[in-house]
Amino acid sequence: MGRVGIGLALAAFAVALTLPQFAGPFWMGLVTQMLIFGLLALSVDLLLGQTGLFSLCHASFFAVAAYTTAILQVRYAVPTLLAAPAGLVAGTLLALGFGLAVRTRGVYFILITIALGYIVWGVLHRWSSFTGGDNGVTNVPFPAVGELRIGSHTEYYYFVLAVVIACALVYRVLIASPFGLSLRGIKASETRTRSLGYRTGLHLYAAFVLSGLLASLAGVLYVYYNRFVNPVSASFPISVEATLMAIIGGSGTIAGPFIGSGIILGLRNWVSSFFELYATVMGVVFIATVLWAPDGIVGLVNRLRAARARRKAL
Amino acid sequence: MTRDRIRRSLRGLAALLAAVGLAAPGAAYAQGGPIKIGLLVPLTGPLATPGRDMVDGFNLFWEQARHTAGGRKVEIVVADTTCNPDQAITQARRMVHQEKVHFMVGPLCGHEGPAVAQVSKETGVPLLMDTAGADTVTKWDRTPTVVRTAVSASQIGHPWGEYMYKELGLRNVTFIGQDYTWGHEVTLGAVKTFTALGGKVAKIIWNPIGTKDYGPTIAAIPAESDGVSAVVVGVDRVRLFEAWFNFGMDKKKKIYGGYWMHQDALPQMDERAIGLIGNSLHYAAGLDTPENKAFTEAFATKHKRLPSWFAESAYTTGLWSKTAVDSIQGKIEDRAAFLNAMRTAQIKAPRGPLRMDGYDNPVQNVYISKIQKIKHPVLGEVMTNVPIKTYPAVSQFWTWTPEEFLKQGPYKR
Amino acid sequence: MPGGGALPPGTSFPQHLALTMMTGAILQAINGVSLAALLFLLASGFTLTFGLMRVVNMAHGAYYLLGGYVGLSTVRATGSFALAIAAGGAAIVLLGYLVDRFLIRRTGENHLAQVLLTVGVAFVIGDIALKIWGGDSLKVHVPELLRGPMELPGGLVYPAYRFVLIFFSIVVGVLLWVLYRKTQIGAVVRAGVDDREQVSATGINVDRLFVIVSALASFLAGMSGVVGGAFLMLYPGAEWEILVYALVVVIVGGLGSLEGAMIGALIVGLLDAYGRWLLPEFSYFVLFAPMALLLLVRPRGLFGKDI
Repeated sequence: MGRVGIGLALAAFAVALTLPQFAGPFWMGLVTQMLIFGLLALSVDLLLGQTGLFSLCHASFFAVAAYTTAILQVRYAVPTLLAAPAGLVAGTLLALGFGLAVRTRGVYFILITIALGYIVWGVLHRWSSFTGGDNGVTNVPFPAVGELRIGSHTEYYYFVLAVVIACALVYRVLIASPFGLSLRGIKASETRTRSLGYRTGLHLYAAFVLSGLLASLAGVLYVYYNRFVNPVSASFPISVEATLMAIIGGSGTIAGPFIGSGIILGLRNWVSSFFELYATVMGVVFIATVLWAPDGIVGLVNRLRAARARRKAL
Repeated sequence: MTRDRIRRSLRGLAALLAAVGLAAPGAAYAQGGPIKIGLLVPLTGPLATPGRDMVDGFNLFWEQARHTAGGRKVEIVVADTTCNPDQAITQARRMVHQEKVHFMVGPLCGHEGPAVAQVSKETGVPLLMDTAGADTVTKWDRTPTVVRTAVSASQIGHPWGEYMYKELGLRNVTFIGQDYTWGHEVTLGAVKTFTALGGKVAKIIWNPIGTKDYGPTIAAIPAESDGVSAVVVGVDRVRLFEAWFNFGMDKKKKIYGGYWMHQDALPQMDERAIGLIGNSLHYAAGLDTPENKAFTEAFATKHKRLPSWFAESAYTTGLWSKTAVDSIQGKIEDRAAFLNAMRTAQIKAPRGPLRMDGYDNPVQNVYISKIQKIKHPVLGEVMTNVPIKTYPAVSQFWTWTPEEFLKQGPYKR
Repeated sequence: MPGGGALPPGTSFPQHLALTMMTGAILQAINGVSLAALLFLLASGFTLTFGLMRVVNMAHGAYYLLGGYVGLSTVRATGSFALAIAAGGAAIVLLGYLVDRFLIRRTGENHLAQVLLTVGVAFVIGDIALKIWGGDSLKVHVPELLRGPMELPGGLVYPAYRFVLIFFSIVVGVLLWVLYRKTQIGAVVRAGVDDREQVSATGINVDRLFVIVSALASFLAGMSGVVGGAFLMLYPGAEWEILVYALVVVIVGGLGSLEGAMIGALIVGLLDAYGRWLLPEFSYFVLFAPMALLLLVRPRGLFGKDI
């Protein structure tokens, strides 16, 4: 990160801290959602941007974690201190199982993850005696630990912000570590990395499970924000959108997924309030991103800066 | 050139971000200004058609009422929920915080109901729930600021079970039910009253929404059952209809619609539907009352079709809320007074007389209807549901006391 | 037996039950096969384009839906079902060519880009179709001759149209197989599936080959929309429902294999029919879990080749 980058990050942080001072509750809610879905997009990008694996089942971990936490809190009155970690564990356990998909590569990996995602959606949808079917689970309380409890959406926003910043920092350490390096090595050339003595399969599996853990965290944050969850959160479009967020913002970067999440959610709420062909707009965004901005906004900005630097040098 | 393009995209992006992130919260409103109503319906997605019906019905009412209530102007803001609870909750919050609506109407999809109720609970902005039908909203999981103006799922199921036993003389029925909350509650409500009278359930066959092929369902109907009850929604209504005749079942068994051939699905069916029992529902477009005649004629003149129960329901919600606002002289800012007026108003709606029970659900007639071809003054010959039996003033608790019913717990498959 | 319902003369109750189970099993088999027939029509195009061009086209379901809608309007205008099939197919050939030429071609062999791009295309098609044909579920009307029930030996009754569909699908399948296995074009395509560089090295115009195969796949998708729309209806969202089934078919059968698409369609159709009959609550599980297991054991599907 250059000096400009640090400056930008600090400015963003300052804006984030003071945001509740000048934004109304609707925008605060939207920004909280952007952070949460940005985290989900970041989890997708741990695979996509670092290892090159394109998973379309991340909504599963997200939803299973959200459901676990919600059901424990609402139906069994389990306190947050247990219910939230239980959600993380459930989502991660699922990732441990689904992680076997890393035995496949390329298009097969894409297709098998689509199918796995549909299983989870189908179970949440159909096993209504336990999951509540279409109605899902409602009336999830705000998180509380003993006397400490979050009482408003603004307080919850700060909580989410803190978690997201912590995750971003850990993520940064992770990808800079030898493990992160080996993942990028696999992305560049798996055979070469393997010939260097790395057990690439195991590394990919570990990355998959970590990414599942991150998606589960987003799921737990989501259920406390939304206060309810239903099978839509496990559906295929959620997985696709999370991927698109990562790409549109800039795959392989930390800021990218959050920028992408801001753009997609902003667009959805803004466009759908006055324009009926909302799906067309989303579709065009998909197409345009792939064709003209495959490196996303962050890539676009970098290209711009590189061009300016070249001009200066001349 | 590239640079230009990039600059242009960046400028667009900046504009977008400004629009998205930095718009200031709206100014406070003062009493005496217009009354704002937020209508939350799906305008895109699989349930766009009933969503459109609701908008048409709602707008028709307010046009007739010249967009005034309690001496104030009425403004309607429509938001597209896409039948996705996430989107519903976000749009509901936008309605409350950005649009500053005084109350909300909607949503349509059952699973959006609890989500929007959540926003009403958070913010205290009243919600007139229409047409989402989840039983629990007016039974086990009530919100003080939410009242229902449409119908509770099992409310139409209870009379249906009794009708099959007493009027149709059925004793051993196969139930085809849609496998989601609404379908469970309607079907099991009918099973409950049917078996209470001594009827036997030959089999219950659950089909997920959007079941591609009704062949397997029809093949699974036990030979010994003496009748089939159908509770189906969406595209499944037409598929079941087609499969029934294509498998030659019309010559073997009798099928009766508990919740099946609605007005919006009839154009996709054909003359074979005539004479079948189509629905057990709180509304039928063929209802012969002055209120309904006036309503269907106005609707048909404007939209060249008969209204579905979704259109009627939104129309009636308009009527109901205007009645309430009129009775409090337009003081909509007093939420408690408005909700109280909603709860005590007596309405003569197209579907019949209405009033709230003590649990925020309308007490209303339920009509068993037959599909018939009628001569409509506006549309000419048209197929519609014509009531053949009326269960007057049906409560969501049927003949039980609320306490008894609540103790039984929700209908679950 | 309580509740009435007469037994056929001369049968006892257990006999009668066994008979019902038998007829049930037979009916479900036909149900499964008729769904398989439709799925094969759709999946064969998908699998061929993947095999030859390595293109994952998630807009295939949207092609199906749009082809069906065009066919529906054709039937309404002309009353001819055959013309509708041709029109539905032709419309998608044109659309498919444009999408291929101006969008997919630009993604190279990046599957990720293809998936996102074609999902985007599917969104746009679905939304525009919703604007034109509305949100109702619409049925493509079939000729009087094919409507109604058909009496089978043993007193079974079954919709005539489904048999026609099965027959039609078999004919198409045989034609495709002959084209693929017995003709010059087929030989080149097969060679292209195995080794593309080699084929272009022999001086064959691979580009033209791609256009031909892609046009064939588009035609199959559009056509299956018309024949499928006659018994599954057309409505917003149908594109994703059918696409998921088609994906399972090609995954089970193996991407790029015509035989795989046939077997895969049969397996999926039968699993769906019997699964919903015997284990209705777990129908999704019955469909997807065996597939996931199969993939873990045989990642390339039943007939897939290493790519």
